[in-house]
Formats: sequence, structure tokens, C-alpha cells
Amino acid sequence: MPVLRLPKFGKPVKYAYITGRVRAMKTKLIPNEMYARMLNMDIPEIARYLEETQYKEEIDALAKDYSGAELIEHATFANLAKTYRKLLEVSIDEPQFLILEYLRRWDIWNIKTILRGKFYGASDSEIMKYIVPAGELDMEFLEGLAKKDSINDVIAAFEGTDFAEALSKYDGKFLASVENALDKLYYFRMERAVGGTLSVGGGLLLKYVRREIDIRNLITLFRMNKAGIEASIVQENLIPGGKLGEELSRMAGQPYADFVRGLEGYPFWSAISDVATADLDGVSRIEARLKAYLIRYAWSLSNYHPLSILPVLGYIVTKETEVANIRKIVRGKEAGLPNELIEEQMVVA
Amino acid sequence: MAVIRGTKPTRAVLIALRRRIKVAQTGHELLKMKRDGLMIEFFEVLNRAKTIRQELVNEYIRAEQRLSLAKAADGTIAIKSVAFALQKEPAVDLQSRNIMGVVVPKITAEAVHKKMYERGYGIIGTSAAIDEAADAYESLVDKIITAAEVETSLMKLVDDIEKTKRRVNALEFKVIPDIKDTIRFIGFALEEMDRDNIVRLKKLKAKAQKRAKAEEAEKAAKAAAEAAASAT
Repeated sequence: MPVLRLPKFGKPVKYAYITGRVRAMKTKLIPNEMYARMLNMDIPEIARYLEETQYKEEIDALAKDYSGAELIEHATFANLAKTYRKLLEVSIDEPQFLILEYLRRWDIWNIKTILRGKFYGASDSEIMKYIVPAGELDMEFLEGLAKKDSINDVIAAFEGTDFAEALSKYDGKFLASVENALDKLYYFRMERAVGGTLSVGGGLLLKYVRREIDIRNLITLFRMNKAGIEASIVQENLIPGGKLGEELSRMAGQPYADFVRGLEGYPFWSAISDVATADLDGVSRIEARLKAYLIRYAWSLSNYHPLSILPVLGYIVTKETEVANIRKIVRGKEAGLPNELIEEQMVVA
Repeated sequence: MAVIRGTKPTRAVLIALRRRIKVAQTGHELLKMKRDGLMIEFFEVLNRAKTIRQELVNEYIRAEQRLSLAKAADGTIAIKSVAFALQKEPAVDLQSRNIMGVVVPKITAEAVHKKMYERGYGIIGTSAAIDEAADAYESLVDKIITAAEVETSLMKLVDDIEKTKRRVNALEFKVIPDIKDTIRFIGFALEEMDRDNIVRLKKLKAKAQKRAKAEEAEKAAKAAAEAAASAT
């Protein structure tokens, strides 16, 4: 793993400005009671309602290319990217560094999408449809990557960056190892970056990042143990770090029933106890519960220190949850799923 | 009575027709057996096809639901992105097998059902909903391939049963009766010819006898004349 060089910030780091901006941005979020009303609306009605909110600009801009649920999904993702970039623009020093490290997950997403697109042989315009420029890499740079002739050209563009080592895992025929390496790199950087901060709330943010790593690993364990995959392969797909790293690694390859039994007593058990049964058909319900658990955990942390990175984290997670909730409603409605099933997938404070 | 057109009522044709009717009757028996055998096979395949069709519909509904859930949970953008990473497209190997002379396809699928880490996308950055949608669609493709094999076999069997039935009916109601009629016709014709010959021979015989009698009478008259002349 590459060693992350942390920037040195002057002390004390000022969080008053960014938390003030975040408080103002929070007022533009969709109120919780609207989700219940949206569940009873048709897709055009939801689009019309969203035109009254912060999504208007994106819906108007994309209406010529998309319609229905597709329009809403692309518009919400575009707005998410715009909002996150705005957060980066209005922040300085340590907050900016931490926000950027957190938002790098979108850079990873975009790099993976471009690699997959090149692997498949998709055109640059086709690839660009699925890009969400919410991280450090801007649209222009990503467009340049999408225009490259081959995967090797894309990888060469990252020469000298932290991504280079992860990208070097590409063996010419298999993208999974590169994708996993990129995701591991993201969490490695995130853990190191947050661990380096001495500001108030830094410890809690580190706790959150470690819990996120644990939850991601737990989801991987559920997926792979349920499929009966051998321990060594499962362990390759676990993210190093987290609070329960060693314990979760030992659970790799366990028979599914034993694995589920072994989870009783962990803090996340209450969130999944009623669905995590040995005869469960699929693990997506457990995954949805665990993700909801993580979101609620982020929300609970965001109130601890008003002048710290935690309210910003709370806002970032809330914004992403809002976009996911809207998408779940419109996609669920499009597929004719019952409201109860859609509600089960949504996370509302 | 339907006689085969252009048949010459000769003994040679009669012998040939008698040989042909034997072949036709044997063929008729065999084709009837084949038809009955195909019918039994058809009903077996039909039951399998019905079951597979129902399973196919169920698999399709399940796959659509899983995809809808994955679209809701992760978004179409994520699904499309992951779909680009597909490592190996499924391939089918087409062979044939024989059911009572009917050549039906035998389809073997390759690389349809994959383990989640063989699909090409990274596990850490994807979700269980995507796994479940991919898994449901893999099962659907498997079922489509089985259904294609069974339904093509069924159609081929129906075609062949129809063809065999037409042949059996043609032999039973046209070819064999026609040959029988023709044999009867030739038999009648040959008997008629025999009778003609007998009459002709009788007539010739009578003519010859008459001529012999006349010659005898002439000879007797000549002898009587010579005897009278010598007496005088």
C-alpha cells in the first residue's frame, strides 16, 4: 500500500464556516415527511415535485436526453455531484482534505466505470453517461480518460499517483482484482487520513470509517459465505483495517448458519436479527439493513460536536441517502413494486 | 375401383405389384409403429415442455423482480457500469440426437452460471442486490437454453408425427387399396384374356374339324365317283 503523506494544518482548525454552510445546505434537503407523500405519487408527479426543489436545474438540463425514472435518476446523481463539489469549493484546509478523502469514493467509482467501459468496448459517450463527477477528478479529466483507446492508456494516465499501484494489478483479462485493489486503497487512505487529524470529532470520524469498513466486510462475508466460497478467496475480498478486521477475517468461509450464529452479540446484530436467518433466500435484505444501520450511525455521530467534521459527514451521508431514497421510490414505482417493499429499502431519519 | 394409371395388365406387372404390396404393407406396419412410438415420446416431451415453460415464466418474473430491486437499491447507473465488466459471455454448444429417426437438437450451455468472483466485477464495490440480479438472470438463461432444446424437439416431433401420419394414411387409404385394385384389375384382365384365348382356340379347332370333315367328304365323293366309273 502506498504511504499517504498527510498535509500539515495550522491549529486550531476552523470548522465554523463549513458547518455554517452545511447547516444552510441542509435546509434545501427534502423533508422526511415528503417521502411518504412521494410514495403515493406517479413518476411524472415526482419529477414535477422535484422541479420545485434543488433538483430543478438538473431535471431541466437533462430532460432533453432522458425521461421518467431515468431522468430523475440521472438528475439526482448530477445534483449530488454538484453539491459535493460545492462542499469542496466552500471548504479549506483540514475540512477540505477530509471531505476530499471521503469523496474519493466517487473517483474510484468513475475510474472503475471507465475501466469497465473500456473493457467492454463501449464508446466514450456511452461511458460518460454513467460518470458521477462528485470527487476530485473533474468532468474534463474523466472525459479525457474515457476517450483513451485502451485500458492500458487509462492506467498510464495515473502513473505517479496513489492509484498507480492498485491499477497495476490489471492482468489484461480480469478487472475484479483492480476494482478490489482500488476499493481497498480508498479505505486505506481514508483510515490513514482521518487517523491523522487531531481536531475535535476526528476520533469519532475514525470510528465511523472503521465501522464502515466492518460493515462492508460484513456484507462481503454474507454474500460469499452464503454462496459457499472458500475462506482464502473470501479473505482476498475483505478490506484490511476496521475495528473488527481480525474477527471478521476468521469468519471467512464459515458455513452460513454458523457464521450467522457467530454474529449474535455484535453491535449491528439488532439491525439484522429478524432477517439474518439460516434459510434466508438472498442477502440483499441484510445488506439494505446494514447500510441503513451505517447511515443511522453517521447521523447519530453528526450531533456530537457541532463545530467539527461530523456535521459535514452527516450532511454528505444525508444527501446521498436522499438521492438513494428518491431513486428507490421512482425505480420501485417503475417496476410496480409494492409500497411496503420500497419503504423497506428506504432509510428515513 | 382406382387402378394405377398406365398399368399394363401383364403377368410381369402383376408379379411386380404383388411384390410391391408386400413392401407397402410392411412399410405401413412399421410406420404405424413409428407413429405410435413418436406419439408416446411426444407426450413425454410435451409434459417436460409444459413444466419448463412454467419454470421459465417463473424464472423471468424472479429475474425481473431482482433486477428491479437492484435498480432501486444501486441505481441503473451502477448496474450499467457493472454490466460493462462482464468477463465472459455465455456460449452454447449445439449437438444433435436421434429419437426414432427424428434428429433433435442437444444444447449445452457454457459459462452461464458463474461464481460471484468469476463474473468480472469487484466484490467490495458492488452489492448483494447486483449478485442476486446476475444470479437470477444466469438461471433464466439456463432455463431459456433448456426450453429451447425441449421446445425445438417438440416441434420437430410434431412435424415428424404429422409426416408419418400422412404416410400411414397414404399407404392405408391410397397406395395399398390402389395396388389391390390394380392387382384385381390385372387379374380380371388376365382371366378375360385367357377366356378369349380359349374361345379363339375353340373356334380354330372347330374350323379345323370342319375343314377336315369337308376334305374327308370330298375324298369319299371322289372315291365313290371312281368306283362308279370302274363299274361302268
